[in-house]
This record gives sequence, C-alpha cells and structure tokens, in this order.
Amino acid sequence: MSELKDSSKFPSHHQEVLRVGTDLAALARILSWFDRFEPPHISQRIWLQCKTALAEGFTNAVRHAHKNLPSNVPIDIEVTQSPQSLEIRILDYGPPFNLEEKLKTLPEEIDLEATGGRGLKIMHSIVDRLAYTRIDSDRNCLLMIKDYTQSQSL
Amino acid sequence: MFSELLDLQVLKLMNPDVKVVQPTGLLDGSKANQVRREINDCLEAGAEIVLLDLKDVTFIDSSGLGSLVSALKTVRSSGAKLYICSISDQVRILFELTSMDRVFKVFANREEFDLEVQKVT
Repeated sequence: MSELKDSSKFPSHHQEVLRVGTDLAALARILSWFDRFEPPHISQRIWLQCKTALAEGFTNAVRHAHKNLPSNVPIDIEVTQSPQSLEIRILDYGPPFNLEEKLKTLPEEIDLEATGGRGLKIMHSIVDRLAYTRIDSDRNCLLMIKDYTQSQSL
Repeated sequence: MFSELLDLQVLKLMNPDVKVVQPTGLLDGSKANQVRREINDCLEAGAEIVLLDLKDVTFIDSSGLGSLVSALKTVRSSGAKLYICSISDQVRILFELTSMDRVFKVFANREEFDLEVQKVT
C-alpha cells in the first residue's frame, strides 16, 4: 500500500474517450494515447499489463465483434482513472455475446503451441474484473478493471 | 582429401549458417506475418539458425505472438532452430502470461546468443 502514498497528487477521477474505426492499424495510435494516462504511483510492470489487456480488448472488438463490419463503424475506448483503479471500456456495435459462458469453456491449459486463441485468457489473467454487457439496443461494452490496491501486493 | 572434407564439416558444425531477423515497432498480426515471411526466406537461403532480435520491438499482441509460434513451427519442421533475443519489458510480460518462456529460447542480448550458440569467444 505504501506505493499509493503519493496518489493524493493525482486527480481523483479522470476520464477520456478515443473513437477509432474498425481497423487493426489503429492499435499504435490507441497505445500511445493510452500512455498519457500512466500514473506516477504505479509500477511500469502493472502499466504494461494494462496496456497489453487494452490491446487484446481492442483487437478482439475488431476481429470478432466487428467481424464483417465496414471500417467506418466506430469503436469507442473510454479510460477512467482514479488513484485506486483503472477502468477501460471498449464499446462496439457487434452482436450480443456471452463472455461469461465463453470464459467457462476455455481450457485450463491452452496448447502452448497454438497459433491463436490467447486473447481472452490474457485479459482475464491481467485485470481484476472482466465483463461484457449489452448496452443500448445495438452496442456492447467490454469492461476491464485493474485494481491497483490489489496489484501492489503481488 | 578426406581430412579436408572432415575439416569443412567441423567448421560447418561450429559455425552454422546464422541469419538475423530484426523487426521494429509494434508487432501485431500483420507485422508478425511479415516477420514470418522473412524467416521463411532465411530458411530458403539455407539458414540453420535464425535469430529473431526483438530489441527494436516495443509491443507484441496475441496475434503477433501467434504468428511467431507459427514461425517457430516452420523453422523446426525444416530442421533449423529459432532463437529470440533482447525482449522489451512488455514482451517479457506477454511471454510470462502465455508461458512462452517454455516455448522459445530467449537470450538476454546478442552477446549472450553469440557466446552460447555461436561459440564466439
């Protein structure tokens, strides 16, 4: 917990949204945008984990939720920072999808030499809360929460 | 004549044909597929060892990782070897999360690779 002592200097809540298209090439822009939120009181290791989870969330939205959708269909990425946690929301226009069920069917041990299928596992092992919910009538929200207070003790 | 041939063989064993592939930037699926093609070219050119030097790679996502695993399989099936060196902190985190440390042989840097694989002193 001692690593959190300087967090009072950090704005209590900070939120920003970035809108990109259905385009994997937007990843570089998303990652450099995300780096602006790196809080001074969090280890680089935790930050790189969050960045890795964000990349998986975004590429999943393009590859799966927006599969067969034109590149002008937007994906919104919303980052909410507080001294204690990071919340990432990725909003897509894909069909409804039951993430909880999918997570249950993932094998305990993924084939080490598989050439795909690691994305969900990566997100799941990095963040403290992972949820995918239907919002409005035509959108989904992937929510990832990293609880810094839990991560510090790791 | 025979001993000359033998010398050549020994020389070849000690210093197998090593090719280095050194991509830059963000290794996503499409970039990693380019890397995979480059590695294939190395194999076709007769490389016995391919070193993938990742010192200028800032970030890898899971589809980039998938392509690297696929490259490893191709290298292996052609009887050659693939090594990796100089990974960034993000790549180390990704490798740990996905147990890639059990799949790839990773050297800290080029010098360590030279010492252990090329036996250069």
